[in-house]
Amino acid sequence: MREKPQSKFNQTAVMFLISVFQVLCMVSLVTNDAVYSSYVARLKDGVEALALQTFNTQIFYIFMIFIAAEWLYMALGTLITGHDYFELEAVAFFLCGIGLTVCASFGPDNAITQLIAIGIGILVYIAVGLFIKDVNFACFMRTPAAAASVALLAFTLITAQEINGTKSWLYIGGVSVQPSELVKVAFILVGAASLEKLLSMVSLTKYIVFSVACVGLLFVMKDFGTALIFFFTFILIAFMRSGDMRTIFLICAVALLGAILILIFKESVRERFEGYRHVWENTGNSKGYQQSRVLTYIASGGLLGLGIGEGKLRNIYAASSDLVFGVICEEMGIIVGLAVLASFVGIALFAIHASKTAGSTFYTISAVSAAGMIMFQLSLNVFGITDLLPLTGVTLPFVSEGGSSMICCWGLLAYIRAAGAPFTAPKPDVIDKKPPTPPKKAPKKTPVKVKTKTKTKTSVKEGAV
Amino acid sequence: MKITVKRACVIYALILAFVIGVAILMFDVVTKGESWATGKLSRHFSYETDISEIIDINGKTLVSNSDGERVYIKDVALRTATLHVIGDRAGKIDTGIDTLYSVIPDAYNIVDGVYYLKSEDLGGVASVTLNIDSGANKVAYNALKDYKGCVAVYNYKTGQLLCSVSTPAFDPDNVPADLDETLEKYEGVYIDRVTRGTYTPGSIMKIVTAACAIENIPDLYTRSFNCDREYETGDGIVRCNGTHGEQNFVQAMNNSCNCAFAEISIELGAEKLLEYAESIGFNQELYAGEIRLTTSVFEPDKKSRTELGWAGVGQSTTRTTPAYFLSLMGAIANGGSGYAPDRLRCFNTSSGKELTREAQIIVSLNRETAAKLAELLRSNVRDEYGDNRFPGLEMCGKTGTAQLDGKDSHSWFAGYSQREDLPLAVVCIAENGGWGSHAATEISNEVMQYFADNPQAIS
Repeated sequence: MREKPQSKFNQTAVMFLISVFQVLCMVSLVTNDAVYSSYVARLKDGVEALALQTFNTQIFYIFMIFIAAEWLYMALGTLITGHDYFELEAVAFFLCGIGLTVCASFGPDNAITQLIAIGIGILVYIAVGLFIKDVNFACFMRTPAAAASVALLAFTLITAQEINGTKSWLYIGGVSVQPSELVKVAFILVGAASLEKLLSMVSLTKYIVFSVACVGLLFVMKDFGTALIFFFTFILIAFMRSGDMRTIFLICAVALLGAILILIFKESVRERFEGYRHVWENTGNSKGYQQSRVLTYIASGGLLGLGIGEGKLRNIYAASSDLVFGVICEEMGIIVGLAVLASFVGIALFAIHASKTAGSTFYTISAVSAAGMIMFQLSLNVFGITDLLPLTGVTLPFVSEGGSSMICCWGLLAYIRAAGAPFTAPKPDVIDKKPPTPPKKAPKKTPVKVKTKTKTKTSVKEGAV
Repeated sequence: MKITVKRACVIYALILAFVIGVAILMFDVVTKGESWATGKLSRHFSYETDISEIIDINGKTLVSNSDGERVYIKDVALRTATLHVIGDRAGKIDTGIDTLYSVIPDAYNIVDGVYYLKSEDLGGVASVTLNIDSGANKVAYNALKDYKGCVAVYNYKTGQLLCSVSTPAFDPDNVPADLDETLEKYEGVYIDRVTRGTYTPGSIMKIVTAACAIENIPDLYTRSFNCDREYETGDGIVRCNGTHGEQNFVQAMNNSCNCAFAEISIELGAEKLLEYAESIGFNQELYAGEIRLTTSVFEPDKKSRTELGWAGVGQSTTRTTPAYFLSLMGAIANGGSGYAPDRLRCFNTSSGKELTREAQIIVSLNRETAAKLAELLRSNVRDEYGDNRFPGLEMCGKTGTAQLDGKDSHSWFAGYSQREDLPLAVVCIAENGGWGSHAATEISNEVMQYFADNPQAIS
């Protein structure tokens, strides 16, 4: 169709480099004795360790399945849609691969779960993409989505047991689910659709009520990190629609006041923030235990890292989830850590770029708020564990171990893709009752470029228009 | 629609904030990474269990581990004399080696992190060898008798701190029942006075004033300074310890004449004096190995000529740390390069490797200035104090008296031996020891004589 012959080549080249990187990760996992010994050492009493041979074989197959799935997605995608702009997916695959490597270094079981999560994530990504293809349908779904979200959160609050100070986990048939992660995807849908449809007071009020309900429920669950993410996204969506800085400041001021009041009156909340900027004085208690270890071991890794499995941060609680950035820096090196961060910047830049070509305000708002949500969560995670922000216990998108988080991230990615999808004829904007104009000039993107300075560094750069 | 697209640029702000955050993080990693990576939290080397022994330079085990308990050497005098080097059981002496292992040498660099320490499978640090000669510490401790104060001796060619004693001290195995910092007899008992003590330097500060004058007053050596016990500064009086009459610069130094040095200080001016003092380490953050020395403070008064005069002779608000003056002596003796006194010889890994660290220069003097100062200090001992105070040592040095209101002055001596086979500098302060030429010189001599008789610690 539209694509130029050489773009196909580049797409393949990118995937090839990412695959090479992932194969290297796999080779590193199976050849380094430290990985197996750390796996054996971590096993709880009564759990039998896999033999080294079985361990290595399982990891080999996990990676082969993952790499094959990536290629299959690309190939099928190209066949079905007739285009090959998969830069966004490529970045996500790169991130998932690093996350999978960390999981695998903890044991094949962790890796299998993570692989399944990635698989479900990709399916959700496709499903959300199809779901919002029709703006009118997306708008229609906003009320049920909102009702379901609030109900799910409320149900969680009532039934969930408190784990690590929060009440945010549900156990369904032996699988643990974090409903707040799933609600994130709905939150964007509701926000973007409500404001897309009508800028009436009713619509706005409904949306505010919904947001307050979500943030409030999360707060009661003591899941402050996620509550903050929702609040931030709410502000972002409100700004996208109104552009009124004064209102935004007012909301922020009220929220800040509320937060201060809570900090003053609620000891349990205050305690969590007392360690902030004082982690070195609190290395022995929960206020600074994790952060001080993360900093110690990020520095220990140096630019090149100590090797997968060789780190010590892995022995700290939540190493593979909340602290995964520290594990990456320690074991794979700060350079790879920075490549991970650069990948997110790539996603955000793609979202800005995509929003310009989006066929509808719905897509623009949803893409920008999804990107904002990812960037905000990323900042809370990376800066939280390194004590530049208070620690809130959120995950690193696409990388942290955990199914709910992974599925949510792919769901959010779908909004960004929908805005920038070059193959979808833009839907007529519902507000502007313009006749359906012929598709705008297809966004021409310079093909994805990959810089591969070292074997371990793969940063995917998104092209300009 | 268009306006919404414009608003999408808010993401740029978000990206910018994120990039700034990452930059701050990376800046922290670069600047603080070493202390993080080699800090106590790191399990890449487990300090608590692995550093089992502390050994002195002659191979004598001062502390060992037995069933998880720290066992100190049997000799009470050795235990007490090395207290401030090693630390106490309670960890109150925070400069003690046993309390503070913050940096393992050669273990870290920004590119590889702690990779090489791990990859060689060193198996952790097994023991620490000190530069300290515990025998010398015992001699120094006994020489200090009942004086509070300190003695430190170091090899100015290598930076090895061979002797370091601080009093009051106590036996870590028999902690006195009445041990209490607030009691006068235990004043500052947990402070290592060598590195953390801070004193008015008194006349030893004249070395700094002289160095600045050598570089800035061309006719310094041909001039004549008059002393009639008082020097009129114009807005006050600087008093001298004697009436020295007409004297040249070398004689003024020998006499430690306040009038001459006040005149020189005022002529140099506060700014020049301050600039010079700061260039050689005053008001600077200096480290001796892992210990941060208490900053030596020099802040000459820019308005009062009298205060400036007093600052130039080491009174007024000037403060210094003995270890700093030890390095200054080292710089004079060693052609301008003054090493930081380092207590630590090496870490011994369980695989038998010795991890050493490079000596750091913390005081740098102009080579010619150092040579001229060396002549002045030699002249002090030869022509003023008398070589018979330091038999056979060929000492150079300067005494000092830190005047205190209503109490006996603190007695200072800072000096070094010129002998090729005895490249040692010494600093001693005996609190309330009276005029400089008495207590501090005697103690310094006793310790230096120990090294002349027992040269095995000098490599």
